[in-house]
Amino acid sequence: MRKLFPYPVLVGEVDLEIRQARLDDVPVEFSMISASQRTVALHEIERTSWQTAVLEVRARVPRRELDSGPWTNVTCAAMLFERRTNVRTVFSLTPEQSGSWVGEVVLHRDRHLGRAELAVQVVGTVGGVDGRLIGQDRNPWTIDLLASTPAKKHGVKMVWVDFSSEENAHLLPFRTDPWAVDTSGDEPTLYLNKRFEGLEALLGSGRAADRDVQNLLLSHIAKDTWTTLFNSAVQSVQTDDRGRPEWPGGWRENTLRRMLPDILPDHSPDDALKEIVTRLSNDDGGGDLHTRVLHAAAVQARLTRNLGGFVRALRRSAQEEDQ
Amino acid sequence: MVREAESFGAWLGRQLRSKGLSQAELAKELDVTRAAVSAWITGRAEPRLEKIELIERFLGLSSGASVNRSETPDSTNDIGWYHRPAHRDGGRELGNAAAYAFDSDLTVLAREATQNSLDERFDLNRPVRVRFTLHELTGERLHRFLETLRWDELHDHFEAAADSRSKTGRILSNGLRELREKGSLVLLRIDDYNASGLTGPEYEDGRFAAVVRRQLDSHKSGTAGGSFGLGKATLWAASQFGLVMMHSTLSEPHEGRRERRLIGRLDLPWHELNGQQYAGPAWLGIPDPQRGGTSRSWWADERTVEELHLTRGSGEPGTSFLIVGVHRVTPEGDDEDLLMTMHDTLVRSLADNFWASMVAGHDSPPMLEATVESLRNTQTVRPEERVDPHRHQPSRSRAVQAFLNRGTVEKITASDDVVQTKVILSVPPRKQERQGRRGAGTVDHEAVLLITPADVEEDNRPNRLVCMRGNRMVVMERVVGDLPVGAPPFQAVLLAGQAAGNSAADAAAEKFLRAAEPPEHNDWKQTEDLTATYARGAITRLREFRKAMLDGVRTVVRPSETTPDKAPSALGELLRLEPPSPNPSPKHPTIKSVSGEVTSDGAWEIRAVVRLPERQDPWIMRPVLRFGTLSGGGLLAEWSRVDAESGCEVTEDGRLWFTPGARTAVFRGVSEVASHPVTANLAIAEVDLVRAEVTS
Repeated sequence: MRKLFPYPVLVGEVDLEIRQARLDDVPVEFSMISASQRTVALHEIERTSWQTAVLEVRARVPRRELDSGPWTNVTCAAMLFERRTNVRTVFSLTPEQSGSWVGEVVLHRDRHLGRAELAVQVVGTVGGVDGRLIGQDRNPWTIDLLASTPAKKHGVKMVWVDFSSEENAHLLPFRTDPWAVDTSGDEPTLYLNKRFEGLEALLGSGRAADRDVQNLLLSHIAKDTWTTLFNSAVQSVQTDDRGRPEWPGGWRENTLRRMLPDILPDHSPDDALKEIVTRLSNDDGGGDLHTRVLHAAAVQARLTRNLGGFVRALRRSAQEEDQ
Repeated sequence: MVREAESFGAWLGRQLRSKGLSQAELAKELDVTRAAVSAWITGRAEPRLEKIELIERFLGLSSGASVNRSETPDSTNDIGWYHRPAHRDGGRELGNAAAYAFDSDLTVLAREATQNSLDERFDLNRPVRVRFTLHELTGERLHRFLETLRWDELHDHFEAAADSRSKTGRILSNGLRELREKGSLVLLRIDDYNASGLTGPEYEDGRFAAVVRRQLDSHKSGTAGGSFGLGKATLWAASQFGLVMMHSTLSEPHEGRRERRLIGRLDLPWHELNGQQYAGPAWLGIPDPQRGGTSRSWWADERTVEELHLTRGSGEPGTSFLIVGVHRVTPEGDDEDLLMTMHDTLVRSLADNFWASMVAGHDSPPMLEATVESLRNTQTVRPEERVDPHRHQPSRSRAVQAFLNRGTVEKITASDDVVQTKVILSVPPRKQERQGRRGAGTVDHEAVLLITPADVEEDNRPNRLVCMRGNRMVVMERVVGDLPVGAPPFQAVLLAGQAAGNSAADAAAEKFLRAAEPPEHNDWKQTEDLTATYARGAITRLREFRKAMLDGVRTVVRPSETTPDKAPSALGELLRLEPPSPNPSPKHPTIKSVSGEVTSDGAWEIRAVVRLPERQDPWIMRPVLRFGTLSGGGLLAEWSRVDAESGCEVTEDGRLWFTPGARTAVFRGVSEVASHPVTANLAIAEVDLVRAEVTS
């Protein structure tokens, strides 16, 4: 998909910098703000009852381009948005010196749930029309209310637990399994069973001799996980009022976007999503869809490479025994 | 003129010496005993008035000269070059070994010269001010300058020395050729103010002799940056002719005088001229009759100083070095660029090496102020520019300033906060101390470690640690590795030795680290000086210190809590959930580019280029036009017409039927105004291709 603006827009980069974050007027450690990850973590173990977070921001716009361009009445605003709550708050910024704009963004805790996005927009008058969007931050910030480290949460949470213990009652039915995948909530979790004899020792082993078995096992776990994630994600796809499927956002959308190109390679992501939703709602069982899902999960889990390595190692050790 | 009250005796003694007269000669002339003259000079007695008049006449001074202690004017006519004769053993020096220890570029020169000025700071409550002036001379001004330098006397020596096959000789002959061909000469003047100046006697121990007469004599102690006496060699190495003129205002009087002490020194290789062999070095001054005609420094008049372009800006003590014929940085290109390039090089070198010395606190003045100026024939080419540490090194300067103002914090919460922690250096005892008194042991020095977030706009590379000691000159810059993902970029500064404080332990660390520096003063490592001076274990202590400083930075930079993730990291790699990076060659048709505009009747007119993956079967797709919305999939609009331009055909129901085997195709479309959800002018248009369902 390509976009067209019916008026001239900024070509140069617009960028937002977060200079400080305060929870109820008490600053948080600067290491909770990561410019490279474009993430702010607002969760501090000992301060869970805060009400407002104030972010001091500075936006940079390509000043030379703005000065020489056709835009007038240029203003700059920071926009806070959360998909889950659909809250959208706009904060106008004030010009400082040389092409930068500063201001404060106030985040009220009771209006947000988990992760809000913060982006900057440049607005001006072009061709006699006021308030036109002429530039925006290509890479919005994530303000994570629940994270304690400012890293983008793009992974499956992995924990070792004892499946048979009383604390993990929900895992009791799976107590004989080596692992289990939980896809409920904002972050999928992979539980690894501590009680499964030898599993922890094998995965934690640093011995070179164990490496090939380890890799094969990891691929196996990963393939299971991806399959589960995909099924769960597809189920969560909603359709809009015209019957078009909507991307579900979060890890579910990322899962689909990672796997769909391997499931239906000759479809664009939008077309592929539509196709899958259609096939699943038909009565024919989805055709070869499930085969394709397993293929895509194997690609993500690098099964081919890791199984190949294992087989070669096995052959090697067999030869050694023959001698 | 600043002049100390001086006894008649000391004055008389000096007048006799400068004229090369003995006490006996004066005694004979005045018809008095030698003992009487000796008594006058030692101050035990004073001559009667008529004797004083006779003395003045004998010395060729005006009447009353002895009362105001005026001097025999050092007549400019007496000034000349003295060339040291060759060694009797036939030894030849074909260059100055000390000069070879450094690269002869402006960066090194600025660093070494400024370091020397910092070491010679006179009033420790005020900064030493260093001024670099580039001055290009041509035409008449060049002629007058060379005349004052007695260039004619030198010329034959230059030609003779340039003949030799040494490196110095080649540089020299190149310099002479450039002077001839270009008819211009670039002078670099380095002034310091509020510095000690070249004090001390002509030949005996002192600053003057250390700089003018000796090699490898550093005459330094305490927090001095330099300790090898090598730095001054860079002054001579920077001159194509090995020629440096010096003008000093002294902080403590010599011969009762402070102002306008001048001398020139020339470092040539061994050469032979008119059957006479010369060792190389030569001095411009007045002949010293007591030293067989050696040139000694002279107290110049203002006019001479001006003609040598050595006039100082104020009466404050300090020295002006004039490097005659400084190496041209860019041999090619026009001279306008040359001065600019050299000017920028000097500013950059001063900012890179001395930013911390130039930082001031609320109640602590900077140690150094530095400026650079460029002139051509006394006309300004680039006005005097003060090197501002906050402009060149914003985040690091902020860190040092916060330390000076005691404004550091324990935790970084804002992008301009500075955290201060300490790094311990265990200074081992010196070997002598251990022998001398038992029990003299290791002392622990607390170096100051400052860490601050790097400025976004700064062009410095982030995540680095800069180390320095007493004079706050940058000794080294180290990369801090092994940082956690997402840690904000930072700059760190380590203030060690007397940069951290003034305790005995700080002083001990200062000495220790100075011993650990190589001649370039750019590292703390195992040196011969270190192993020779300190007890066993010195190298280990230094290694520990080097590791501890990096660990100290990491401790501060690392996020305070990290969740232990015991699951194998290889599994994390397989379960990464970030959105995939865009596929550069997708296996489905994509819009490669689109252009278009809104026509006067309000319709979008677009032209789109489609990229097609290879496939035997034809692709059939439907072009879609949507009006973008802030969230969601956009609002559909319809086409009033779609036309194929190349690589495709348009079917009756408006689908695109791409030619089999084609890799690109172009189509045009015009939107149906009536179907627009809003006026075209007020919305972003999106063009896309979707799979064409067979419409039944």
